Amino acid sequence: MTDLNKLSIVEASQKLAAGEITSLQLVEACLAEIEKRNPSLNAYLEVFSDAREQATTADARRVAGEKGALLGIPLAIKDNILIEGRTASAASKMLENYVATYDATVIKKLKEAGAVFVGRTNMDEFAHGSSTENSAFGPTKNPHDESRVPGGSSGGSAAAVAAHMALGALGTDTGGSIREPASFTGLVGLKPTYGAVSRSGLMAMGSSLDQAGPLTHTVADAELIFDVIKGKDLLDSTTIDETSYPPRAATKKMGVPRHLLEKGIDPDVLERFEASLETLRAKGYEVVDIELPLAGLALAVYYVIMPAEVSANLARFDGVRYGHSQKGETLFDDYAASRGEGFGPEVRRRIMLGTYVLSSGYFDAYFGKATAARAQLRAEVERVLEGVDCIVTPTTTSPATKLGEKTDDPLAMYLLDIFTVTANLTGNPAISVPMGTVEREGKQLPIGIQFTAAHGNESTLFAAAKTLE
Amino acid sequence: MISKEEVLNLAQLARLKLSDQEVAGLQKDISNILDYVGQVSAVSTGKEKEKPLQRNVMRPDELRAASSPMDGKEEALRGAFPKREGDFNVVRKIIQKDE
Repeated sequence: MTDLNKLSIVEASQKLAAGEITSLQLVEACLAEIEKRNPSLNAYLEVFSDAREQATTADARRVAGEKGALLGIPLAIKDNILIEGRTASAASKMLENYVATYDATVIKKLKEAGAVFVGRTNMDEFAHGSSTENSAFGPTKNPHDESRVPGGSSGGSAAAVAAHMALGALGTDTGGSIREPASFTGLVGLKPTYGAVSRSGLMAMGSSLDQAGPLTHTVADAELIFDVIKGKDLLDSTTIDETSYPPRAATKKMGVPRHLLEKGIDPDVLERFEASLETLRAKGYEVVDIELPLAGLALAVYYVIMPAEVSANLARFDGVRYGHSQKGETLFDDYAASRGEGFGPEVRRRIMLGTYVLSSGYFDAYFGKATAARAQLRAEVERVLEGVDCIVTPTTTSPATKLGEKTDDPLAMYLLDIFTVTANLTGNPAISVPMGTVEREGKQLPIGIQFTAAHGNESTLFAAAKTLE
Repeated sequence: MISKEEVLNLAQLARLKLSDQEVAGLQKDISNILDYVGQVSAVSTGKEKEKPLQRNVMRPDELRAASSPMDGKEEALRGAFPKREGDFNVVRKIIQKDE
């Protein structure tokens, strides 16, 4: 049987349950694709040498009577998620040889479900970026056009799935790092409600913003992975469960913030967006205009709060207990040299920015104001979502950019996140789903549409997203 | 434009060693980014009495597991230290006796 790696997770799961295929066959198909395409795509930083053994174990578990939708399914895992005994480097020289000492909770849950981990995927270093060009180990290429980026920071995970080198993947999303690569590579990417998925064992970037989530070919696949990885966790006290937010009755209305779409979006992206809105109408949704006056400020708020949290979270990398270590003249020099060398330029830039906005004299003007703005934005989004099921926008203003296009100007790179950061700031769940392709230089490039729903309402997202499949 | 001294001060606070070239680059980058994010200063604060998102998550003061989660991890944790001498992990002497 050929092309087993092109099955969706749901299809593969059915075939596994029916005894038509084995997990080993699925993994072999993925490994064959990896051999063909990973050398040029650089999606995987490491393919786990025991992937076949993991598959055989899953097959044995099935023979012993276990079922479960993810049993034996090959997944790719982003390099900032800890798997005990395996290297996790966050695509940074700082942690190039670091071996994880425990499993992330999401990994523990996937292990219990019997998933097979094919390898760890490339990313922007410490998740700092929107293109995977900030990796210390080379960029990842977009499988749809290898002169372009796959997006970031979960670019390796996205490329791995888009090129069928795994059936699904885990990424992390702090400002759009699952949804933007999903848009650029034609995948479904979900950022769950803040707290829906445990952050224990994820290398922290912005602790009030981070969420792990799935990158898949179909909405049903994303739903499947989400159902396995979600749940309250004693090790992460910000986690929630189904009782945390009240259920809501569907309004069958979709809200579009037209004022945010007036400029800066490629015309053919807008065309695809309008066409998708038509499909939603045809499927029984009413599309209404909504106002989000504070949304224009969201990116500025994000680029104050996120670097601030980054500067705190990355303080642990001091070369003393783990990671890159460089000896200087004094203890201070030890720190400064270890960190100066171990971290790449974008990481250093964000740490510096974060240090600035948290420093005495500037704290109130930047971080204080940003925090207040964040609370107001959250309240605004909550109010709007009382009247509509989802807020709908394109996920990105354009399709995948060319490698090297935005690397000279950090601010230009940051603007790629313009539609995605709001959901991280407010904690709302958001999903990116493909809405067709647009043509650039003769190539068809995917482009995504983003739905944002009320807290705890991933089911609303899945329902809306499925109408566009 | 943020000054070179300010950038060097931040590097001190952040424990980062930067080259002169990088310091100059950061002066430009940080200034540009601050210009953009400076929009947040227009936000009025204290308008609504904001409900704090943080909530207390408590548990009883009891042992959760029969064994420590660090059981069997000692070698892995030790192995991550940059410098080892037998059973010891080597770090710089930071407490100096006053002579």
